[in-house]
Amino acid sequence: MYRKKRAIARPIEVKESFKETARLLDKAIREAGVPLAEREDFLKWTIDSLWQSFRSERMNQRIIIENEIKALGIRLPNGTVKTDYSSTFSLPLDKISDVRLEGADALGLTLIKSQEDGTFTICGKPLKPGDFSLKITYATVPGEPRSQLLIPVAFNPDPRSLWRDIPTDKNIPYPKPDTIAEYVKVEAGFDGSPKKDMVAASRRGRSHAQEGKPRDDHFTIFHCPASDWYIMAVADGAGSARYSRKGSEVACDTVVEHCRERLTDNLAFENAIKIWQLDPDNREKRTVVTRTVIDIIYNGALKAYEAIKRTAFTADGGKLRDYATTLMFVVCKKFSFGWFLASFWVGDGAMCLFDANRKTAKLLGTPDEGEFSGQTRFITMHEIFRDPDMAAKRLRMAVVSDFTALFLMTDGVSDPMFETEKNLNDYAKWEEFYKKLQKGFPDDEIGGVDLSDDNPKAAGQLLEWLNFWSPGNHDDRTIAMLY
Amino acid sequence: MRRLPVYLLIDTSGSMRGEPIESVKVGLEAMISSLRQDPFALESVNISIITYDKDVKQILPLTPLDELQLPEITTPDSGPTHTGAALKLLCEKIDKEVHLSTKEQKGDWMPLLFIMTDGKPSDLQLYKEMIPEVKKRHFASIIACAAGMSAKTEPLKQLTDEVYSLDTVDSTAFKKFFKWVSDSIGVGNRSIGATDSLELPPPPPEVNVII
Repeated sequence: MYRKKRAIARPIEVKESFKETARLLDKAIREAGVPLAEREDFLKWTIDSLWQSFRSERMNQRIIIENEIKALGIRLPNGTVKTDYSSTFSLPLDKISDVRLEGADALGLTLIKSQEDGTFTICGKPLKPGDFSLKITYATVPGEPRSQLLIPVAFNPDPRSLWRDIPTDKNIPYPKPDTIAEYVKVEAGFDGSPKKDMVAASRRGRSHAQEGKPRDDHFTIFHCPASDWYIMAVADGAGSARYSRKGSEVACDTVVEHCRERLTDNLAFENAIKIWQLDPDNREKRTVVTRTVIDIIYNGALKAYEAIKRTAFTADGGKLRDYATTLMFVVCKKFSFGWFLASFWVGDGAMCLFDANRKTAKLLGTPDEGEFSGQTRFITMHEIFRDPDMAAKRLRMAVVSDFTALFLMTDGVSDPMFETEKNLNDYAKWEEFYKKLQKGFPDDEIGGVDLSDDNPKAAGQLLEWLNFWSPGNHDDRTIAMLY
Repeated sequence: MRRLPVYLLIDTSGSMRGEPIESVKVGLEAMISSLRQDPFALESVNISIITYDKDVKQILPLTPLDELQLPEITTPDSGPTHTGAALKLLCEKIDKEVHLSTKEQKGDWMPLLFIMTDGKPSDLQLYKEMIPEVKKRHFASIIACAAGMSAKTEPLKQLTDEVYSLDTVDSTAFKKFFKWVSDSIGVGNRSIGATDSLELPPPPPEVNVII
């Protein structure tokens, strides 16, 4: 009943109200003195001008809103291609609606409106590097065209995609292969007990490959079958020194040759070590050993310095500093009581005796590092040998029952792996490093090194492992290990 | 991560108003996009911009290249050029922003400084006082650029041996200059360490070497 009544009543009401409005309008026009003949023109003019001002009012409203949106100064952070990007901003939804990101697909991005707080998020993985202008469009006042907002955004290239691998010119002085790896298999003893092997690998850094510059690092490893001494040397030629690749080579080869020669048939030295170990607290017995260690190790380092000097001065206009290089080396041998080691270290990088069973990691010295990155000392600096504390600072002697691995590495490996001196002295970090060495970097499809006994493949595996990615760390990488 | 801090000191005094400063902006933009193409720079370069006229402002704090967005650069109508005050602010920022090596933290690479002017310091006394302070900060390299005919090279020579000049202050000259700056930053990235001085790439013909 109720519904029917209203349905009938309405048209009558509307009609009545329309009539009343027309009557009032007619009255107003008459009273204003508009002659009958001009009424139509007048009405047309009135409607036209009202429509004009209505439209301009509407447009002004739109422009005011547009300016307000612009004044928000929305800026988006830079992104990196193929890397998750997400940036959130808010827009006044009481004034605008139907917000869209134009051409989003081509950029690899989407615009998501949050249902909770009305904020917008641009997210996705940017497809292309470069500077772009993101076009956001939105509706303001009904009847007005859609407005647009251009937001500049920059997407960085993926740094990994920018590296080039330019082979080194073979005709440069002192050429050196860009990569090298070596495995020294030491056969089991007479009693059939396995012996530790050595593996080493060296790889030109990406920063050098980028410019076709040679590798400056070097290593030399040697095992003497007759005396059973192991000798390892690793050197890092200074990046800015012209012929440091030769400096590092001369340094390694000189010390290894010197130690080899001194340790061959040196029963006096071996006996001194044995006698000392029967009575380890005896200072005199220790001194006998120390004296020979200084002869072998200190003189080895000094010989390296002199050999580099000779190389530099025999070359045309050669300067010693053009051959600047760090140097670390170690000699060691297994006795019945355990292992005897003696080492020398000048420069950065790391030399460490790692023992997973006893959970110890002993650095064989202290890395030389300056206030700023990349500052270090070199074997080519004469003051190294003038320092009265030289032996205490740089020479190390150690006796241990056994160990898992002895590592020598340049800062190209130690910087990305350990970063700080504090970490270098932290066993947990070495344990982590040892795991990484065996596991590799599965996310980057870089395999690990199989460190089981007598595995010559370890050399190639180690060389591949040195390809790991670490932002900002693209120096030459060299590592030698006894295990 | 090890950073290569790069400080740019830009003269924004009244004489730079108009085309010169617009050319600097174009040059800076080109420099940023060129550096972004260098993988090493992308992972290590951090840039700060300090502008100086009668006021001195760090308009961009030390910011990683990959996050960097160039801020607005404005110039007053006229007024003095407070180069000395700019060096003072630079030293304060270096002390605050550049990390030195400690046992717990890897230090930054030695910072680089590029200073550009089209005139001469109005605060000459302070400028002279600040020179030894700047030198104490161990920049790997300080490169000074005298832009245009009224730029004085004498005061710059007291600050560094690496003084260069541009005959004109148009966009071609600044583009070439900043391209060379970005090449120099690339070199700095790779060779800092062994020797104290940095070997710069040869400047383009538009950039004159002042001896």
